[in-house]
Amino acid sequence: MKNKNSLLLKFAYYIQGSTRYQSIKGFFYNLLENDKYPYKKYFDFFMITIILSSVTLLVMDVKHHVPNWLDDFDLYLVTSVFILEYLIRLWVFSDIHKIIIEEYEESDFFDRELSYWTLFVKIFKNKWEYISSLSAIIDIIAILPSYRGLRVLRVLVLFRAFKMLRYTKSLTGFLYVLKNKKFELMTLLTLSAFFIFIAGIMLYVFEGDNDNPNIHNLFDAFYWALITISTVGYGDISPVTPEGRVVTMLIIITGIGLISFVTSIIVSSFSERLTVLREGRVIQDIGKKNSITVICGYGLLGRLVAKGLEQEGVEFVIIDKDENLAELAYTHGYHAICTDATQGNIFKQLGVESRVSHVLCLTSDDIQNAFIAVNVKSLNENVHVTARCSDEEIAQKMRFAKVDQLILPEEIAGMMGSVYAGEPVAFEVLLSIIEEKGKTQIDEIKITKDSFLDNKSIHDVDFTALRLILLGVFQKSEGSEDNFIFNPDDDYILCANDSLVCIGYASAIANLKRKM
Amino acid sequence: MVEKKNILLFGYGNFGKQLYKHLSIAKHNIRIFSTNDAFIESAKEEGVRVEKINMKRNDDILSLGVNEASDLLYCAMNHTANNLFLVLTLRTLFPKATIIAISNSFENTRKLKYAGANSVIDLYEATSRRVVNILTKPAVTKALDEIIYKQNDLSMAEVVLDEKSKLDGKYLHDVDFKSMGVILVAIIDKELGHELIFTDHRINHKLDIGDTLVVVSQKENLERFKHFVNSDNIKRETIEQTS
Repeated sequence: MKNKNSLLLKFAYYIQGSTRYQSIKGFFYNLLENDKYPYKKYFDFFMITIILSSVTLLVMDVKHHVPNWLDDFDLYLVTSVFILEYLIRLWVFSDIHKIIIEEYEESDFFDRELSYWTLFVKIFKNKWEYISSLSAIIDIIAILPSYRGLRVLRVLVLFRAFKMLRYTKSLTGFLYVLKNKKFELMTLLTLSAFFIFIAGIMLYVFEGDNDNPNIHNLFDAFYWALITISTVGYGDISPVTPEGRVVTMLIIITGIGLISFVTSIIVSSFSERLTVLREGRVIQDIGKKNSITVICGYGLLGRLVAKGLEQEGVEFVIIDKDENLAELAYTHGYHAICTDATQGNIFKQLGVESRVSHVLCLTSDDIQNAFIAVNVKSLNENVHVTARCSDEEIAQKMRFAKVDQLILPEEIAGMMGSVYAGEPVAFEVLLSIIEEKGKTQIDEIKITKDSFLDNKSIHDVDFTALRLILLGVFQKSEGSEDNFIFNPDDDYILCANDSLVCIGYASAIANLKRKM
Repeated sequence: MVEKKNILLFGYGNFGKQLYKHLSIAKHNIRIFSTNDAFIESAKEEGVRVEKINMKRNDDILSLGVNEASDLLYCAMNHTANNLFLVLTLRTLFPKATIIAISNSFENTRKLKYAGANSVIDLYEATSRRVVNILTKPAVTKALDEIIYKQNDLSMAEVVLDEKSKLDGKYLHDVDFKSMGVILVAIIDKELGHELIFTDHRINHKLDIGDTLVVVSQKENLERFKHFVNSDNIKRETIEQTS
């Protein structure tokens, strides 16, 4: 143990152990870097406002004199905000105390002296990673214009506009597209540079020696070539000799080709990227919700369920492997993601640990449904999973995988068919209750604490006046199984958290719910 | 108990199998037909007799010997197009028969009804309501589970008032269903036509012979209730004593 290191080390350990320090640092990290943090958007908005105001001042300053107090605002407030932001970013980028502790432990292990120099170099190297990153360079350049000595530096205010990239997602998305197509774009750029080079030289050779009064040097010729090849065609320089015109004709044709080529590359890259951007947006949107239901599979059943959930006001997101079906869900106005739900990644992004409350596996393939169900359950066993399957044998396996609810569409149809054979009228009743097509519905009314039904016996509730048929009471009790009491006795005492299951007109049910 | 019916089941795919399973529990007389050789083979292995049929030939179908008045025709082909064609064929050949078809969407339900099915079971409609209920209405889900989906004591049934019924001429409000352990859900009041009316206490129906009551109840209570509704005086007295 080297005593002389102890002060620095003690400090490092103190910071390591201080929850207060960690929470403050965590707060700033969230504010600056964590997209899922709810207050980040306010900070982003604040920064964008500051940047825009600073750019506005620059523009105003060109023709009018900006009042001194505004200039001071720009000089002191904006600059200090930027400097502060820069320093905080540098701070939250990494933990110095961890490096110190690590370094100390290593030297302790080999029983050698801890060198301050290597420690310093390590820390500096670590922070340099941040300092040398593109966004940090932009940040530092954006601070510079505050130095009023050099007029040229004023233009650097525009770098503040670049800072906005950090605060707006869509702009970064665009840059990403360009980066993605780097190879294609670079090829085209080289090609057009080559054409401009050739055409420029040719024109200079043909018209440079006094034939054309507008072409004074090679720069003019290159300038002309670029203006022509890009189909902009200002006309400030135009060819006068027949040879020059032939060159012009050739590079105009090449130019049209090049331009459409570039456009098509960017457009196609965008449409490729668009779904990804959109899905990123969906995940971001979902990040703001407290609870979300995931529908896997947007086939016939998925569509009906989505519609039903929408009417009930349940927040949900649809996942489908099939691009067309995901697109269809999107055009229906739902949150949709095209991905494979049998992979854990997507559920992690959606927040399977906290946010996802229900997962519905509704694809038409039993094996897929089982796969998805197991995937979700293995990530978080508490998520309520409902799976569709086609027969009892598969249902057993699903139950083994702890799937909470199983739905067998064929079985439901079969059962209803058999009811029809024996009791056609009862079948009609079932059908209208199950499909909720008519005005009469089955619904549940939860008894709230201290409402007019709390602590009343069934006998005292006038269901005749309420125009409702009481089927039974659903008891939800902590710990024990949920219980459905069919046709409860007159002296049954209702209590809070019981639910009445009633059949009746929609308006009668709404009426009772209102009274709650 | 529930009356035994003669049932002709067309199709032995996923739907057909499930229908057969449930219908055979209720011990109806079932004949199964299929156009698909593979289905017929697999049924044979399970010990179920499935007859081959060519539904495009009217003679084939006419030779089945359908009794229009009493037989039930179930159309449960796997392919909607085949099912629709089948319904159409059956309807042209047997104008008065009762045809029940399985459909997989709201769209097809409309088409099947137009083609002449008396009743259409919409596979996904019922299923999707159930999925939605699981999420939003746990109590309703549980209640429907007990009453409809689970094979248990609780069920929904209908009772028709016959000539000797004790309830003839009585008013609904005067009958104490609750003490008999049954819940009256709906009624077909012949005086008001054939329409099904949910008995949510708005109308105090007068019961007549031929009216149909739809009730939910435990099996035991249901039997007693049936006796109570349609039986002679001696039996009724015993019921009143016990209840």
